[in-house]
Amino acid sequence: MTEKITPVREKILSNIRIQRFTPGKDRSPYFDNFKMEVETGMTILEVLRHIKNTQDSSLTFRAFCRSSICGSCALRVNNKTVLACSTQLMPILKDFGKATVTITPMANLPIIRDLVVDIDPVIEKLAKMHPYLVENKDRVPETLEKESLMSQEELEAFGLMTDCILCGSCYSACSAVKADSNYAGPLTIAKAYRFSVDPRDDFRGMRFQAAMDQGLWSCVQCRKCIKVCPKDTRPADSIRDMRRISIDAGIHDSPGSRRAKAYTDDVERIGQVNKPMLPVIVHGTKGWAAIEAAEAGLKKHGMEPTRQVCSLPGQSGAAKIYAKVREIEGKKKGGKTNG
Amino acid sequence: MADKQYDDGYMHYAFYSGCCFQGADARFFEILEKVFDKVDVKIHLIDDAVCCGAGVIEERSELTSLAINARNMASAERMGLPFYTPCSTCFNVISNVQKRLGEDKKLFKQVNEILAEDDMEYKGECKITHTLWMLAQDVGLEKLKERITNPLNGLRVASYYGCHTRNPGDIQNYESSDNPTSLEDILKVLGVEIVDYDTRNDCCGYHLVWPNNKLSLKMTGDVLKGAQKKDVDLMVTSCPLCFKNLDGLQNKAVAATGGDFQLPVLFLPELVGLACGMSPKEMKLEWHGVPVNVRL
Repeated sequence: MTEKITPVREKILSNIRIQRFTPGKDRSPYFDNFKMEVETGMTILEVLRHIKNTQDSSLTFRAFCRSSICGSCALRVNNKTVLACSTQLMPILKDFGKATVTITPMANLPIIRDLVVDIDPVIEKLAKMHPYLVENKDRVPETLEKESLMSQEELEAFGLMTDCILCGSCYSACSAVKADSNYAGPLTIAKAYRFSVDPRDDFRGMRFQAAMDQGLWSCVQCRKCIKVCPKDTRPADSIRDMRRISIDAGIHDSPGSRRAKAYTDDVERIGQVNKPMLPVIVHGTKGWAAIEAAEAGLKKHGMEPTRQVCSLPGQSGAAKIYAKVREIEGKKKGGKTNG
Repeated sequence: MADKQYDDGYMHYAFYSGCCFQGADARFFEILEKVFDKVDVKIHLIDDAVCCGAGVIEERSELTSLAINARNMASAERMGLPFYTPCSTCFNVISNVQKRLGEDKKLFKQVNEILAEDDMEYKGECKITHTLWMLAQDVGLEKLKERITNPLNGLRVASYYGCHTRNPGDIQNYESSDNPTSLEDILKVLGVEIVDYDTRNDCCGYHLVWPNNKLSLKMTGDVLKGAQKKDVDLMVTSCPLCFKNLDGLQNKAVAATGGDFQLPVLFLPELVGLACGMSPKEMKLEWHGVPVNVRL
């Protein structure tokens, strides 16, 4: 941190293209172009306020804390969801090499007006995940005199998701929500995970059910939510974790959980995934048709199909690693139950 | 990026194939070798690597994923070559492991203790790259241009990165992840006209093929529909898994989204090979799910 910071205040005359829409009044969303001089350091929120104050007072957007903690100013800039208050415009203009920038409301949510969306669908989905602690009587003392102490390790298990500010950025960026509006979205499953691994909680089973009902296995792991989260909570990682604890709890009856088991076991057994048999492993007898279709395709090109791919030379090494990891994880789990 | 132990004018890479090139896709081993030879690149299979787990193994054990992928990188380190994978998901998973181990000394130590069981050591020196940056940066656009003998002028192409070389933003530092240009830079050199389309940044849904097939097909169909609306001749993707869905499952995906069209999709190395004068036969284009009925 010895680098001397020299403030270079650049100015670029920019064209700010903003999506406008008043449901009931406008037939469809349209764009307004605003010319203004953008300076180094200027945030998107400052740009919007400047336009509202000097060019069009009817421009509507939502903002409050200006400190990236209230989560109310999320919107999209050049299609990426950001918090308007904590995102500077100059680096974006430079990244895209253009003096024009496009600002649109968050995706996947109904527009109330201009850049303001209705966040209620996210909150309703979150509410179904039981996002609160239900007292674990083995852990939480009965009297108020005693505290419910947590170890650092226990805190770290869900630490990231407690930083979530419910801004909805991940929901806006989510590929699965875009394709299926019934899917819960990243933050809701991540929040369900956060409460499910809290040792003070005793409601994990209900959250598994809620997460499964709302698409625990519909997350495509495109990792977009990790990219846009202004608090670096890594929702997609928590979704993987939620899948893991649900499998650990014995919920093996979904195609996704069977895939997880097949991948993990195959890499230990042969060093790679035995893809020819996946349709049957994941979908049971219904998968035979897919296997036969794939085999017919191979035969068409003169290839002899196989139902068992070869074992890779790295398999024996990987198996040693699996064994060691199992030993470590076994100790950890053993430690927890005994402790 | 040429390694010191070779002095033959070629750039050499440790080749991590992942497990996407099974069955019909096994043809890509040969295709990649032939295409890269045109631009003075030699790839050497990391023969003791194992599947990266595609992030799916993390749904059973995160530590297993970290350790087997540290082992994969350690194998490339032993070869003294940069780690090249054509698969965007392998790139994503393994780069993520590298980042995690780079940031967490305790984890780095623990993973190396696990690797010691197999007499391996991960040093953290491995440079990981993907076809996009191998071609656009290591080979360079100038050299690529020199090797083009069949410029694909006039071809209208929809370019498609897929998600795993772009998300999250810090998964790579070769270029901007919000506005990547490597794919288009390569395509421009090949002579094609790049056509922008609405669904360029959407996810193809490949990783839902098993857990939620219906949703996967819808996502694939939506991506294709966006490109098809713009009257493109073909779509090109830098990701072999996106290719599987966009080409192999195209008929089902288009039907699932109520469409009725066929759009040829090429895996980036195939188009590079064609522009470098290789024939559609050499690129085995007849293996595609959707006929590539475009003059190339």
